[in-house]
Formats: sequence, structure tokens, C-alpha cells
Amino acid sequence: MLNNLFSRMFKEKEAPPGEVAKKRLQFALIYDKLEVSDEMLENLQNDIVDVLSRYFEIDKASLRLDITRQEDLSALVLNTPIIAAKKRGHEKK
Amino acid sequence: MEGKIIVITSGKGGVGKTTTTAALGAAIALEGKRVAVVDMDIGLRNLDVVMGLENRIVFNVVDLAKGRCKVHQASIKDRRIENLFLIPASQSDNKTALSTDDMIRLCKKLRQEFDVVLIDCPAGIEQGFENSVVGADEAVVVCTPEVSAVRDADRIIGLLYARSITPKLIVNRIVPRLVQSGDMLSHKDVVDVLSIELIGLVCMDDFVITSTNTGTPVVLDKDSRAGQAFRRIAMRLLGNTEVPIVDPLEDNKGFWNRIGSKIGLRRI
Repeated sequence: MLNNLFSRMFKEKEAPPGEVAKKRLQFALIYDKLEVSDEMLENLQNDIVDVLSRYFEIDKASLRLDITRQEDLSALVLNTPIIAAKKRGHEKK
Repeated sequence: MEGKIIVITSGKGGVGKTTTTAALGAAIALEGKRVAVVDMDIGLRNLDVVMGLENRIVFNVVDLAKGRCKVHQASIKDRRIENLFLIPASQSDNKTALSTDDMIRLCKKLRQEFDVVLIDCPAGIEQGFENSVVGADEAVVVCTPEVSAVRDADRIIGLLYARSITPKLIVNRIVPRLVQSGDMLSHKDVVDVLSIELIGLVCMDDFVITSTNTGTPVVLDKDSRAGQAFRRIAMRLLGNTEVPIVDPLEDNKGFWNRIGSKIGLRRI
């Protein structure tokens, strides 16, 4: 009991559970909103391939689209080998 | 004049949707409106037992939506409260028994017969939810001060906005003692996170348990804090915005605390 009392007296004050709950919720909701469905990612990839193909010859099979998450930001990363630039690619169709 | 249809929803199960629907239905009927409460939890009906009308069911909402009976045949009249009717769920079907088209037709019919229709939405975001919201004019989201309930409420609010419905929030089962000690999310935290309009605060209240056990309306109990909170919410839903939202923490103050705040020694 005495031990308990001491540890209570000297322990650093933790945030009360209600406050912890609010913080966790706010983070969870932000993450929930960043979640992208596979279907959407696939559609996005197809659209990007279409646009890129107008300007470059690319290796469609080895194109990779990922979403990387860090603590404070989400980034969309696209990796594709370029085979050649199209000569007349900059002209609008 | 056509009646309005309000869906009571939450996303998560077990936060008090059915109790809220029963209580608000009774409270709105006590204000003199003709009210129908509709149990849309098809296959898991419960609003009938909460209201104490379980042994009078003949027709149900699926019968009515499929045109197998008339509105007055499916509406069970409450014995204690004038103008209150229950349209029960079917217990043998499942949630895909009705389509959204069925529901739009049903809502049209109900609008002509009642001033206010409350729809008790099932938990989840599947067909049962779609059916419950498709014909609704307004929505009330019930949420308890728990992380799981708030997260699901946020999801439901997003889905309601996508259907051009701006929902209002009830924070249910607040335990003032735990909020005061910092152990529970306060209603302010919940409103902060969800950022929608608050329409009422309801405390955890033993009277809700006993009234559910006996199948009697909690709003008839003058001593029930939850019951009285539901009556105030009903008035606000009917457009009487002057009715105050009572903060359960303020309401919970003891005698000395109240004296203290009167003379300027505010503790909370």
C-alpha cells in the first residue's frame, strides 16, 4: 500500500483517459479518411498510364503506384521506367 | 399537410437507438402529434418489446411495404399514449426483403397518415441502413461517449451528408461522475470530433433499464433524467429551439456546489 502511495505521488501525471480517447479518435478519423480502396487505386493507375502514354513510351507492366504513410503526411508515389519520349507527345490531340 | 420522416441511426449497435426511438416517439406524441415509430431492424425486431406492444403484432413493415395490408392494419396503437403507433419489423425476413423503391413508396404512404414518422435504423451500413435513410427528411445520430461509437457515428454522418441529409446529434449514456474525473469523453469532446449540431444530451439512467424491462415509456416518469431529456429533445425536434440543452454535469451538481456557483465559486 505504501509502495502504491509513493508511486502515485512521484509518478508523472498521465493524461486522463477521456483526453487520451479524444486524441486517439481524432487520429483514427484522419486515418480513416485517408484510406483509399483498391478499386480507386486501380482506376487512378489506369488514368495515369493513359496520360503518361501520350508523352512517353512506358513499361506499363512494371509501373508501380503506392501510397506511403508517415506520421504527418500521406504521399502518392509512382514509379515507372521510361523507354522513350514521344516526339510529338507535347502536341494536343 | 404531409408529415416528416426522421431516421434514428448510429452505425454502431447497442448505443441506444431503439430506446431513443421509443422514447422520442412517445414524447412527440405527448406533444399532440400523430406519430408512427417504424422498426426497420428486419429479422431482429426489438422496438415492440421495448414499447411493450410485442403481443399485439399481426402485420409488419414488410407486409405493409409489399402492399399486403393497409397502414392502419400494420399500425399498433399504444395503450398509454394517445396518437402513438408502432409499425413492427418482420422477424422472419432478412434485411434484403425490402428494396429502396419499396421504402420510398412506404414513406410516401406514411407521410399522409402521420405528422411525424420515426424510423429505427438497424446497426451497420448495409441494405438496412440504405432502406432506413432513403425516404427520410431528417436524421438523428445517437452516439455514446466511447471511441468505437464516435468513430462509427463519424462514418454514418459522412454517409448521411452524401445523401444531402444534415444530421443532428444525441450524446447518450453520459456518466457525469466519470466525465468530471476525466475518465470519460465529455459531450463537448464528442461534438468537437464529429462537428455536427447537438440536439440533446442524455445521462446514463437506471430508469431506462427498468422501463425497458416493463415495456413502459420512460418519458412518462417525472423522476427520470433521461426521460425528461428525451422530452426536451422531442420539443426541439418539433422546432421549439428555445428549449435548453441541459448539461448533465451542471445538472448533477449537489446542493453545496449549486450554492457555490450562485455566489461565484464555480468548481467545474
